[in-house]
Amino acid sequence: MNRFIHRLATRLRSKKKGVSKSNADEPDLKLISEQLDRQKAFYENILNKLPTDIAVFDSEHRYLFVNPGAISKEEYRKYIIGKDDYEYAVYRNRDISVAHSRRAKFLEARESGKEIRWEDSLTDPHGNVITHMRRMFPVYDEKGELSQVIGFGIDITDRKIMEEKQAALVKQLSANNAQLIDFCSIVSHNLRAPLVNISMLVDFIEASADPAEQKMLIGKLRPVIDNLHATFNELVESIQVRQDLEVQREQVCLEACMKRTVDGLQTEINRLDAHIETDFSAVSVIEYPPQYLNSIIHNLVSNSLKYHYPGRKPLISVRTEKAGDNVILSVSDNGLGIDLVKHKENFFKIGKVFHRHPNAKGFGLYMTKTQVEAMGGRIWVESVPNEGSVFFIEFANRIKQAS
Amino acid sequence: MKSIFLIDDDPIFVYLTRRIIASTNCPCEINEFTDGELALDYLSKMREKAELLPDVIFLDLSMPVMDGWEFLKEYDLLKPNIKKEISLYIVSSSISPQEVERSKSYTVVADFLIKPVERGKIVEIMTGVSETTP
Repeated sequence: MNRFIHRLATRLRSKKKGVSKSNADEPDLKLISEQLDRQKAFYENILNKLPTDIAVFDSEHRYLFVNPGAISKEEYRKYIIGKDDYEYAVYRNRDISVAHSRRAKFLEARESGKEIRWEDSLTDPHGNVITHMRRMFPVYDEKGELSQVIGFGIDITDRKIMEEKQAALVKQLSANNAQLIDFCSIVSHNLRAPLVNISMLVDFIEASADPAEQKMLIGKLRPVIDNLHATFNELVESIQVRQDLEVQREQVCLEACMKRTVDGLQTEINRLDAHIETDFSAVSVIEYPPQYLNSIIHNLVSNSLKYHYPGRKPLISVRTEKAGDNVILSVSDNGLGIDLVKHKENFFKIGKVFHRHPNAKGFGLYMTKTQVEAMGGRIWVESVPNEGSVFFIEFANRIKQAS
Repeated sequence: MKSIFLIDDDPIFVYLTRRIIASTNCPCEINEFTDGELALDYLSKMREKAELLPDVIFLDLSMPVMDGWEFLKEYDLLKPNIKKEISLYIVSSSISPQEVERSKSYTVVADFLIKPVERGKIVEIMTGVSETTP
């Protein structure tokens, strides 16, 4: 812009001189010059006030113009004219990689002859991530030669944050939907199955004329009804966990939590001669709803006992470690293990059972997962069949230093 | 003598199904498997012994270790090597249309039966088998 105006002014001046009307022309020339200055100021003002960063390059990627949106300090703005990004990076003592990526974009626009668009993010001195939508396009003169390349960027940080929020919301919704499908499946399989049995048994009882047989069939109703009852209670409980967003967190001492679990499972521990070791030296207290934490630890330890390797004394280790701001609780055992290649996808799903065990109902891990995820944590497992399993639970940002 | 395999982990349902089959008075032999893996192991081992293979399989979907879907996936691969024509019926307490739809992607599945299965349907299957088996 500057150059163009300058050139025009010079040309006008020389034209006037050529005609050589000398003094009479002087006021005219001054007027034109003033007009040009006003116009220059007018356009510059627009470019400088636009809440956008603008840079104009020559065909070799040297700066012809930048506005304060792009470089706020006037001193730097002046320096950069006629220089490229490499020289500017050296001048400002900055990372040269930015110059590399900008050069690549410039070449892309120049070679393709078309407008290109991209987004880039950088972290400002306050640690906020600022995202720009950038465009660059070549401009050709009347002869079809590349005269300049114009680049501009708009701050789309707000839009980006909104998009991220939406993405998180979509993720949450898909998770809810997956839970709903799980729920339908449990209603269909685990609730309907005992109902079908009850109704079939009643049909047989009605059809039978033999009191002894009727009595025998009635006897078969009891376990079915108990099963229905248990399933129903588990379901109600899992729904309560999901909906109880206000559940009270407390400082829960892991040692005390562990003692409850061991006390509750003492008969089984004695029977199997299991050895349980704990190490809560890294983190001894977790802020969590106590009933959830009790249930999580109880479920995992009781699973380790239930799925012990026949003839091998169960060795269970429960420990905590720090992972950044989070706490990881792990429960490892030397039990049956699980074929994760086969079962990876179904691992924590409701009603999934991996071993031929009379008391395996597929609720424990589903419930544990629910109690972990409702509080923003995550659960995963590592296992080798016939060697053992390690369950990990990461508690989100709930660290409380042990004193 | 027809041979029937019941692949289902629910002992009450298996007991009741046995009674229904018995009440049809069709002479038959019933074998039970409490999960897909046990049944698959058997079928795989006996695949060339037609006399030890079933005429009909009633397959539950929700089972421990290897569920009905996992069984179907393996059975589909095994089928060409099985030296007998076997009719396989899914017998599930599920009323989910998605599961019914999913079962249609398996050509080895003759039908999707929703529990409780009526006696009439069992008779139909048993007599159907009688006609097609020499």
